[in-house]
Amino acid sequence: MTRHLLDIDHVSKHFGGNVAVSDACFSVEEKQIFGLIGPNGAGKTTLFNCITGYFPLTSGQIVFNGSRINNRRPDEICRLGMARTWQRVKPLCNLTVLENVMVGAFATTNATRTAETMARQQLQAVGLVEYADKPAGSLPIGLKKKLELARVMATRPKMLLLDEICGGLNHTETASILDIIRTLRNGGMTIVFIEHDMKAVTSICDRIVVLNSGEKLAEGTPEQITSNPDVIAAYLGGGHHAQD
Amino acid sequence: MKQTLISAVLLIMAVVLPLLVGENPYLIGILISVLMMATLSSAWNIVGGYAGQYSFGHAAYFGAGAYTTMIMLSVFNTNPLIGMAAGIAVACLIALITGSIVFRLRGHYFALASIAVAEIVRLTVLNLGFTGGAQGILLTDVAFFGLDMNSKNPFYYGMLFSLALTLAITAYIHKSKTGYYLQAIREDQDAAASLGINLSFYKNKALMISAALTSVVGSIYAVYIRFIDTTAVLDLRMSIEIILTAIIGGVGTLWGPVLGAVLLVPLAEALRSNLLGSVMFKYGIVSETSPVGIFLKDGLAHAHVLVYGIITVLCILYLPKGILGFFRRGK
Repeated sequence: MTRHLLDIDHVSKHFGGNVAVSDACFSVEEKQIFGLIGPNGAGKTTLFNCITGYFPLTSGQIVFNGSRINNRRPDEICRLGMARTWQRVKPLCNLTVLENVMVGAFATTNATRTAETMARQQLQAVGLVEYADKPAGSLPIGLKKKLELARVMATRPKMLLLDEICGGLNHTETASILDIIRTLRNGGMTIVFIEHDMKAVTSICDRIVVLNSGEKLAEGTPEQITSNPDVIAAYLGGGHHAQD
Repeated sequence: MKQTLISAVLLIMAVVLPLLVGENPYLIGILISVLMMATLSSAWNIVGGYAGQYSFGHAAYFGAGAYTTMIMLSVFNTNPLIGMAAGIAVACLIALITGSIVFRLRGHYFALASIAVAEIVRLTVLNLGFTGGAQGILLTDVAFFGLDMNSKNPFYYGMLFSLALTLAITAYIHKSKTGYYLQAIREDQDAAASLGINLSFYKNKALMISAALTSVVGSIYAVYIRFIDTTAVLDLRMSIEIILTAIIGGVGTLWGPVLGAVLLVPLAEALRSNLLGSVMFKYGIVSETSPVGIFLKDGLAHAHVLVYGIITVLCILYLPKGILGFFRRGK
């Protein structure tokens, strides 16, 4: 019996007259890898910012693990067990790689030594041990993305929201990140995944929601989504022109 | 371990220093100024250097300590320590009110708002009756556990104690969860929040600790000088001097602000007292009546603030991480 870990219930977000997310509804089940896709400006990142408490909702509600989390602060949401990464990575540049991950680990402990042990385990998991004492700002982008993963994993989340974790990476780097995500899934992690790379999304996701201009266009398994004519039209731009 | 040893040696040197200087009130006075600026700058460093929240209003907390202590002493005739404790309470209250309002702002806006709050405090004190208004508060006599309060030595040790306390607290924070969280806030507030850090709680915590330590220095200073007015203890110049000392020494490091004070305070004093000119006249390198001599005596001595400013600008241009940061570039 699977249960819903995250419920997005008629969520809308307006910026003045600009409707970024309109009446979005979907649910993420426990241990699912859930893809959130859509063209540029579809409202994917805005929805992430709403879920993680950075933007107040215009209407609707969000329930995570049985409690309403809209109107909660980002740090409270993190401590409830929802962790996120950033599309544009946000390393704590002047701290070392190890210290970055320790900051994450302090979410579940007050002891510096415990935090360090936990951080080293996470660095091991993503393969960054040899960079532990380097300043985070000096890492190349591929390793910064891994650092983001290690850092949020150190907060011991129940659910991960990954915002284009493969964005800007080459094939080898993408493959290596997807390997880490598969390992996390095998460990029972629930993951919501924003991605542009359709191959990455279809190869890894159990279920996909497509957003277009802030509205939910389609929802289904990867096979259903890739054969859906509306989705193809949205990605190629202007459906009936393509048909004509 | 090595750091503890160095700290212990420095502390012993600082404790015996007045014995070596002997009864030279001028030199002891300069040493007190060095310790005072080192403590103020180190206390500012907790919120400015570690949390990255550049408060331009620390004079308010210094003034809170100084004024509260002076009022307690002159009106209620209490022990200076009780005045100091009351000063800490007032400073923390101002910090809490300030923090809960201005920490909603980030970056430049926070800096500007902190100036505004400090100016509000200054103007309020200037216009209230019980604070002495523009006349300030004068204390004719003070008793403290039978110590000779006309000697400067008690104040030297008082300032030394407050510096040691401030550095000990900073060192403790540096290694604790709070220290990591403050640095995360300095580096990226959004990332910090996403990792479960309550931004306003930790920023307020840092500001309260910083304000309390700053007010302790204000209390000691007030009893030391025995006269305060808003220009002496609540001026914007005070806030800026605290920040410059930390920046030049190295923000976000334990010893940076101390180094800044050790270099800058004697330098300012040497410029003010025209040390360069007097030495040159004494050894006959330059005649007092020559054009260079006249420049040294009249020009340079009066332009000491200008020289101080130029050195500050050069430091910011070429040593943006401060002197200590420059030597630790590899780390």
